[in-house]
Amino acid sequence: MSTTTDVRRHRGGSTIAWSLVGPTLLLLIAFNVFPLIYNIALSFTNRELVGEDSRFVGTTNYTRVFSDPLFAGALRRTALFVVCAVGAELMLGFALALALVREFRLKRAVLAVVLVPMMLSPAVMGLYWALILNGNYGVVNQILGSIGLPQPQWLTDRDLKFWSIVVVDVWMWTPFMALIALAGLSAIPPHLYEAAEIDRASRWRVFMRITLPMTAPLLGLAVLLRATDALKQFDLVMATAGPNDAATQTLSTLLYQTVFRDGKIGLGAAFACVVLVLVIALATVFTRYLDHLRRARET
Amino acid sequence: MRAVRWLVIVAGLLFAALPLVWMGLSSIKHRGDTISQHLRWMPAMEAPADPASSSFEATSDSYRDLATVHAGAQHSFWHHLWNSVVIGVLSTIASVALGTLCAYGFSRFRVPGEKDWLFFILSTRFMPPLAVVVPVLMMYRALDLQGTHLGLALLYTVFNLSLAVWLMKGFLDEIPRAYEEAAVVDGYSRFGAFIRIVLPEARTGIAVTAVFCLISAWNEYGFAMTLNSSGAVTVPAYFAGLQGNIEGMPWPQIAAGALIFVTPIVVFTVLVRSHLLRGVTFGTVKQ
Repeated sequence: MSTTTDVRRHRGGSTIAWSLVGPTLLLLIAFNVFPLIYNIALSFTNRELVGEDSRFVGTTNYTRVFSDPLFAGALRRTALFVVCAVGAELMLGFALALALVREFRLKRAVLAVVLVPMMLSPAVMGLYWALILNGNYGVVNQILGSIGLPQPQWLTDRDLKFWSIVVVDVWMWTPFMALIALAGLSAIPPHLYEAAEIDRASRWRVFMRITLPMTAPLLGLAVLLRATDALKQFDLVMATAGPNDAATQTLSTLLYQTVFRDGKIGLGAAFACVVLVLVIALATVFTRYLDHLRRARET
Repeated sequence: MRAVRWLVIVAGLLFAALPLVWMGLSSIKHRGDTISQHLRWMPAMEAPADPASSSFEATSDSYRDLATVHAGAQHSFWHHLWNSVVIGVLSTIASVALGTLCAYGFSRFRVPGEKDWLFFILSTRFMPPLAVVVPVLMMYRALDLQGTHLGLALLYTVFNLSLAVWLMKGFLDEIPRAYEEAAVVDGYSRFGAFIRIVLPEARTGIAVTAVFCLISAWNEYGFAMTLNSSGAVTVPAYFAGLQGNIEGMPWPQIAAGALIFVTPIVVFTVLVRSHLLRGVTFGTVKQ
């Protein structure tokens, strides 16, 4: 113990420490904190993408954001997306993990294949899914047609395209939930199940009393990680529907449309600030939760 | 129960793998077969006589055509793949180097406000890229970094720092301090001990961190599209830019390119499979 303290209190230790962590902190401040403050400043101006004109306009942009039906729609759609996609991923991922938890031959190979989608580029895979789901020549409709089922226009039907994007997101991210759920399931001590067997507890009871509560903390972590990610959903929507489609517009694509297509930087900055407050709220929950987890593990 | 279990496993396997299998099949088709009304899934040596046949003539044309420049684009797929490689490798090296040093600082020295700094670092990962893209765009315009390899590599470096620091801290914390202390007693300087003792011990962690940084830079789309629409365009931005192409989407080439693009990622995923959990949870959950 004493040697540890000696190393930690190495002479000039604090100079070394700051020179080790300093560059990283400076870069993060330059690319995150500074742009954030700049963004807040921009949100009170009428700055546009083209031209240098920039006047203080007070809270006009914020008034516009909150009265804009597009913003309300994107907010509602993004929330729906987060709840539905993450919810489906959680349930399917958990089911997959339950099926994969016991040892069997080829388990490692099966796992490797099942986990691949989450590592791939959403933009590229989203584009490719647009071919798979194409209403006229997509393979999904070809299969449906060959067995005599109706062939919906997955990506052009107003009521359907949002859900098609949810399905692609579920394809990409169910592996993520399965991976984390599997870690939780594998960590349950077998003696708990043995005790339940002695008590002749029903399967359902074992699931509700042992399996679920023992994996819940990790699943919570997974849901929070996924939710903060899904809240930023941009790539898949851009690849399948573009930024300005009323039926699929999310907060991120609306922001993109506002800044880069309409060229309204001031208004976009106000959008971004409002979205950021939402993200910070979620991230706070997340970091608190991590802290809580760590403390629980230490005791 | 057994049957249900296997049903779930097989369904999961098919759901994950079939789109990629289909991508492989599309990449050896002629364009006409990719947009045919009929289901064509059987590769054959020659074109089938019956137009309603389920087989198609296999061809490697699409791979050859990756070198062609499509309407609306200025360069071929290979050019954009090279951009992805340069930007991905540069940013990976930079974020792993900076992240390892920073994690070492937090792991071995007393830094005032350590916990707050670490949470600040983690919180940058939750920043929606589009919330900072406008100021970054203006900064890059002023510094003339728009549309350059360096600009995007720098941005990805910063973006991946949170992951690199948190992952490396987890790995470095596992290396006993006694190793370095013994080395210092043996006459190594602190720096010497770091290079000779700590880095070799941390090589798995460094490799895993590098893979995750590379994958996230490789796959990134939002910044790539908004900042680099004119120069140093990466593959995701290039593919997305083909949408609305007047000649129609070159599907076989897209499938072939996408396959080439995702192959290294699949290989890396298999290589780091025992560390995947750590990677996706910022090192907070260990297997």
